[in-house]
Amino acid sequence: MIRIETEPWAAMVAHAQASYPNECCGAMLGTTVSTPDGDTKVVHEAIALQNAFEGAQAARYELRPEDLLASDKAARERHMDLIGIYHSHPDCDAYFSTTDLQNSCPWYSFVVLSIQNGVFHHANSWLPNFDQTEAAKEELTY
Amino acid sequence: MAKVLIPTPLRQFTAKQDSVIAPGATVGEVLASLTTQFPDLRKQLFTDEGKVRSFVNVYLNDEDIRYIGKDAAPTADGDTLSLVPSIAGGAR
Repeated sequence: MIRIETEPWAAMVAHAQASYPNECCGAMLGTTVSTPDGDTKVVHEAIALQNAFEGAQAARYELRPEDLLASDKAARERHMDLIGIYHSHPDCDAYFSTTDLQNSCPWYSFVVLSIQNGVFHHANSWLPNFDQTEAAKEELTY
Repeated sequence: MAKVLIPTPLRQFTAKQDSVIAPGATVGEVLASLTTQFPDLRKQLFTDEGKVRSFVNVYLNDEDIRYIGKDAAPTADGDTLSLVPSIAGGAR
């Protein structure tokens, strides 16, 4: 399960809406809380990153590894962890596409925000597997 | 010898350590000694054929090893290795 606090959630939605009709992307920093029902990842901070995809960005995004490295360093400095990646799907639902899956990493939660006509509509979180063949839906609250 | 920074999801394979000091004179040797110390990490980083997984980038300090000699890049005491995923995607 992943829970995104109010401030980072507002920043993610604002980033996704401002990037419309293109896709946006960013990193989520936070901590993991253990409960009797299992671990919950709690996002305390969202870092907007540049969509580095060279081409039409309405349906594609790419993160620069050096930007992720910087995000990981920022997390360590602030006693948090890099726990997830977010991106938007302009005028599409918040599914995990084949492109998402084939370029994913099983280490992180992937939050997808659906932006319809420039306005946030809904979101889902996904956990891709090792072989980049499937992604399980993760319970998401915000 | 180098310090390897362990991403959060992989710390379950390194006895919860967020960094590991691993011996080796090259990046390849450091990664090999890291996965010898923590064998469960091997599957996370390498394919069955022994190649670094497609979604894993390795940085020596702030440099991508692909541009400084790959596995053969020399390491020195005080160097830091980071494991950084390749991530992209899109709605279509």
